[in-house]
Amino acid sequence: MSSNSKSTLTRIGAVALSGAVLIGFAAPALANDADVIRRGSCSGASDWKLKASPENNRIEVEGEVDSNVNGQNWRWRMLHNGSVSARGTATTSGPSGSFDVRRLMVDLAGTDRIGWRATNPATGETCRGSLGF
Amino acid sequence: MGITPHNRTARPVWQQPVVQFVVAGLAVAVFLAWVTGVLGERLAQEQAIEDARATTELLAETVVEPALSTGLLDTEAGDLDRFDRLVRSRVLGDEVVRVKVWDADGRIVYSDEPRLIDRVFELGDDQQVVLDNGGSDAEVSDLSKSENSLDQGLERVLEVYTRVEAPGGEPLLFELYLTDDNLEARADELFRLFRPLTVGGLLLFLLLTTPLVWILSRRADAAAADRERLLVMAADASDAERRRVARDLHDGVVQDLAGTSFALSGIARDVEAGSALDRPRLNADLERLAAAVRRSLLALRSLLVEIYPPQLQAAGLGAALQDLVAQAEQAGVDVHVSVEDADGLSDNATALIWRTAQECVRNALRHAAPGRLDVTVVSEGMPAVARLVVADDGRGFDPGAAVAAESFGLRGLRDLAAEAGGTLTVESGVGQGTRVTLGVPAR
Repeated sequence: MSSNSKSTLTRIGAVALSGAVLIGFAAPALANDADVIRRGSCSGASDWKLKASPENNRIEVEGEVDSNVNGQNWRWRMLHNGSVSARGTATTSGPSGSFDVRRLMVDLAGTDRIGWRATNPATGETCRGSLGF
Repeated sequence: MGITPHNRTARPVWQQPVVQFVVAGLAVAVFLAWVTGVLGERLAQEQAIEDARATTELLAETVVEPALSTGLLDTEAGDLDRFDRLVRSRVLGDEVVRVKVWDADGRIVYSDEPRLIDRVFELGDDQQVVLDNGGSDAEVSDLSKSENSLDQGLERVLEVYTRVEAPGGEPLLFELYLTDDNLEARADELFRLFRPLTVGGLLLFLLLTTPLVWILSRRADAAAADRERLLVMAADASDAERRRVARDLHDGVVQDLAGTSFALSGIARDVEAGSALDRPRLNADLERLAAAVRRSLLALRSLLVEIYPPQLQAAGLGAALQDLVAQAEQAGVDVHVSVEDADGLSDNATALIWRTAQECVRNALRHAAPGRLDVTVVSEGMPAVARLVVADDGRGFDPGAAVAAESFGLRGLRDLAAEAGGTLTVESGVGQGTRVTLGVPAR
């Protein structure tokens, strides 16, 4: 291997290393470390996701159900330390056949337990998830 | 040496009445603007407090009370979340910056600041009164209180609280913190309302009255200039009078008395020598000297009358005028004095008539060389006017050319006559004698 080829490989290696370092530092800026995310499978073929993020002395809670079927009606509830913080109904839509709900909760002292419940009355499928924030 | 009016130098700008008036008016306008600003702010604050109380009571009744739950009192997280979302969507805003719900023990059941929830503070007396009796109250918030330790970022806020009831009937205190941005805006609004009425009105008044003040100031200046001119003329006349008296004394009485003195000294020496005493001649000399002394006495008396006429009142005007013309009679002038219906003349009219006659007689003797001099005073018409006419048949003068050379006395008399509401006219012509007519209100 000539000295020129060695020099070229060295340069490529340096650029690649620099890129890796840059990517390594940039990644935390794109994803919020304070977010807490949980995912799981429902009793049927659907999946659920529960995400909590800090928001100005509040907790922004996002609950999601992905059934891959459009037009399904679901009943959902959000629990905060065991009591119902919000409830409602939603219909799956979009290419993925999903729905999501966002609500703000009061960020109480200590760890807040947040629960996510969704039920499809037509199929009887249920989704249950929780996280600590 | 006569006195001349000193040049009226222009006054500094700040001493001019119009400038002083405008500056004072503007100062008052600024003061009024400040007063209306203060009043506007005070009124705005009172009105803002009333509005804040009304807003708080309305929110308490229609939004907060229906949303209260027993779970909220028990600090159930779900109940807190629902109440919080309600407060954030329907209560908090640009004007309302803090919300608290207290129970009777001073525990903060809810606040949009989660760190205050479940903390306990001592309720103030006013808060306790509202909690016990209902109603509402408002005050400027004391941000140094411990319950406000998390609100140090806030500017001055208004604290309003009213009573609400939980579903179980438990009394709670619903408290809002409102910014005073609205208060300042309201004060500005009120100030804008007052300003045209007060400051604008005053400025309009200044605008309208300044020309009037300017005109009055000009008139006052002109009147002051006239008074000053009269004073100067009076001083000049007095100075001329003193010089004339001195001259008359020196050229007349003093010379006569000196001659008499020399003659008496000569006679005394002859008597002392005793030799060849010619008694008939001595007697004739003494008679001649006695006549000279009497003439001197008459001249002195005439001079005294000129300086200060005795009995210068209506009843004595005729005698005073006779004394005045005695010198003319001595000079061989055919003098006629006539005074009719002068009993009712005022002292001022009498003095002016005598003074005018004095000046005219003096001028006639000095300049006109008259053979005849008539001095006539009559009172006529209704309202009565006293008329003095002094006429001579002397050499006269051209009135048009005489204006510049006219004596200070005659000009001064014309001004005095005008001030007394009368007129003084001079008619003359070269070789045609002179006729001066004075008409003044008799009373």
